[in-house]
Amino acid sequence: MSENYKFDTLSLHAGHIPDKETGSRAVPIYQTTSYVFNSTEEAASLYNMEVGGHLYTRISNPTVAALEQRLAALEGGASALACSSGMAAMHLVISAICSSGDHIVASSKMYGANINLLQHTMPRFGVNTDFVNPNDPEAIKKAIKPNTKLVFGEVIGNPGLDIMDVPEIAKICNSKNIPLVLDATFNTPYLMQPFKHGANIIVHSLTKWLGGHGIAIGGAVVNGGNFNWGDKDKFPTISGPHFALGGISFWEEFGPSALIAKIRAEGMYNFGPSLSPTNAFHLMQGIETLPLRMKKHIENTHSILDFLVKHEMVEWVKHPDLDTHPDHEVAKRILPKGSGSIVAFGIKGGREAGKAFIESVQLASHLANVGDAKTLLIHPGSTTHSHLSSEAMKEGGLTDDMIRLSVGLEDINDIKKDFERGFKAVKKLNK
Amino acid sequence: MIINFKGAKTYIGTGGKSLDNTKKTLCFLHGSGQNHLSFIQQARFFAYKGYSVIAPDMPGHGFSDGNPCKSIKENADWISDLLVKLKLKNVVVIGHSQGCLVALELNRILKSTLEALIFVAGSNEIPVNKFLLDLSKENPQKASQMMVTWGHGIDGDMSINKWPGHSHYGEGNNIMSMNKSTALRYDLHSCDDYSDGIDAAKNIKVPALAVLAKNDQMTPLKSGLKFVELIKNCETHTLDCGHFLPSERPMELNSIINSFLLKLK
Ligand SMILES: Cc1ncc(COP(=O)(O)O)c(C=O)c1O
Repeated sequence: MSENYKFDTLSLHAGHIPDKETGSRAVPIYQTTSYVFNSTEEAASLYNMEVGGHLYTRISNPTVAALEQRLAALEGGASALACSSGMAAMHLVISAICSSGDHIVASSKMYGANINLLQHTMPRFGVNTDFVNPNDPEAIKKAIKPNTKLVFGEVIGNPGLDIMDVPEIAKICNSKNIPLVLDATFNTPYLMQPFKHGANIIVHSLTKWLGGHGIAIGGAVVNGGNFNWGDKDKFPTISGPHFALGGISFWEEFGPSALIAKIRAEGMYNFGPSLSPTNAFHLMQGIETLPLRMKKHIENTHSILDFLVKHEMVEWVKHPDLDTHPDHEVAKRILPKGSGSIVAFGIKGGREAGKAFIESVQLASHLANVGDAKTLLIHPGSTTHSHLSSEAMKEGGLTDDMIRLSVGLEDINDIKKDFERGFKAVKKLNK
Repeated sequence: MIINFKGAKTYIGTGGKSLDNTKKTLCFLHGSGQNHLSFIQQARFFAYKGYSVIAPDMPGHGFSDGNPCKSIKENADWISDLLVKLKLKNVVVIGHSQGCLVALELNRILKSTLEALIFVAGSNEIPVNKFLLDLSKENPQKASQMMVTWGHGIDGDMSINKWPGHSHYGEGNNIMSMNKSTALRYDLHSCDDYSDGIDAAKNIKVPALAVLAKNDQMTPLKSGLKFVELIKNCETHTLDCGHFLPSERPMELNSIINSFLLKLK
């Protein structure tokens, strides 16, 4: 009792104790849509959120709950909710807090779908966003308006790898009584726990390093429980009356877990982006080795950085652990174990060279994901952004020679050899 | 609901239903450094069962302003006055931890209003070690965190929770940090100073129920079992969990309380 287990232990155990009947050591997959009620009273008490429990897998499920409780423990949060994808997690948070007429301040350098949701979709519902440079706390402060309901950004931006100065930005949000919501996909709780730096809400794409094996899409909202939602005029969706539960206030009834209660009662109930129990199991299986994998991801990343920086075929290399990165000092301070395993580099010879490189490597996989145990590569100039001119790509902070690399867990010398094969093909092209 | 009481904004959890003083009232009294959120799964459960529920945030706790009370007697007087103000009769008092000591004092001052007493993870005395008393002054946040870890059974460590997705530790720490920074210190001193518990327990004339926790490190089971011996005919149950029984074993606790209430006239 009261052991205060450490991170590696929690990664393996949090959220599950073998039950007495079966003794199943692994978390069982509760592949069910629904749960038999012992009485009508019990059914009513679950619907009314009088007590915790499961009534329908769209709202909660025992396997999914084990994953949620593991994430809450690893992040040091009050509660967590797992859902069908990282994008679902982000939308659940925004729709729980914001209504038409509200405003968001967000980082301008984020994953494309995060930007799209805020820039193009949410305005149709009357929620507008001002985008600011994520590494400029003053700009964030200036962009906050009386109707701003949250500040959003990625701790490590995808794909530009800009680092947010989380403690500084948290101070600003705190002084303005606005929750700081962070996408912590690229850092995972192993590299940095945002609540310890004053953030209030975390969203994860579990699809990436947390799951870690490229086999299941999933997302999560982790609630720090450290935000005061008491201002009823500002946060009516959390502290004002909730239509479907007799006009209760989530803040008064559930305190630190008000946000998760709101998301379960509204987002999961009415939109329904639930995570399948089997995918929850797969993602949890990944989390069991998160500390080991992240350590190796970082080791391999540092080794490949060294290789790329010295390589004659490489024009430039971008990673926050390099002292040439503009956010290197912030990274050292808030991500002392390393700033993730995504590397961007420019290949000599531009767009054509990038294409030749990608098409010649054999071990590294050419695909649109990150955070797999296997090494992944993509060349935006010849794939996701091939329709754009070099100039248009530059406007979006990308260059046509850029390769995005997600460093895997292979023997790093094999990856280096594989890259040499790619560079050789580029050399041929340049001749 | 929020009322103005003794000149201060006072929050009273009512389990999501409006208060009806014609019904039997369950009055939930939170423990040291806690607030109404200790009883999330009891307040709503019993309010929806048709009882009138009050789970007040004591002064300086949760959403209530004012200065924390400095003794168990002061806490009991405050509750007694609150019951009068709200015109509540037929009251069953349910204390958790420190709330049990307050309940013992209420037994002395409430006359016909009191119908029954329920003690959750309680005793007639709650001595507090000097280390924690000092820490609650020097670093109340640290002291709260230590209480949250000691206070929970294995479910705390393992992040097991009957409420899907919730963490006892994360939630517990944040519930305690909602209070004024002096609240925990005054509460712990109130507990440590209280010495009238034996007489008070022997004096109980109303039906009594005690639900104790096997792995309670705050009010140890041994102390709880001695306590119930002092009470005439105290129905006693022991659950396999830590001190924060209301959130660790909500269904079992609710079911025991419910059966007990049904036996009352
Ligand atoms: C930083 C970041 N956030 C969110 C997402 C969306 O995650 P998902 O694909 O699980 O919806 C991604 C996906 O690439 C991402 O990189």
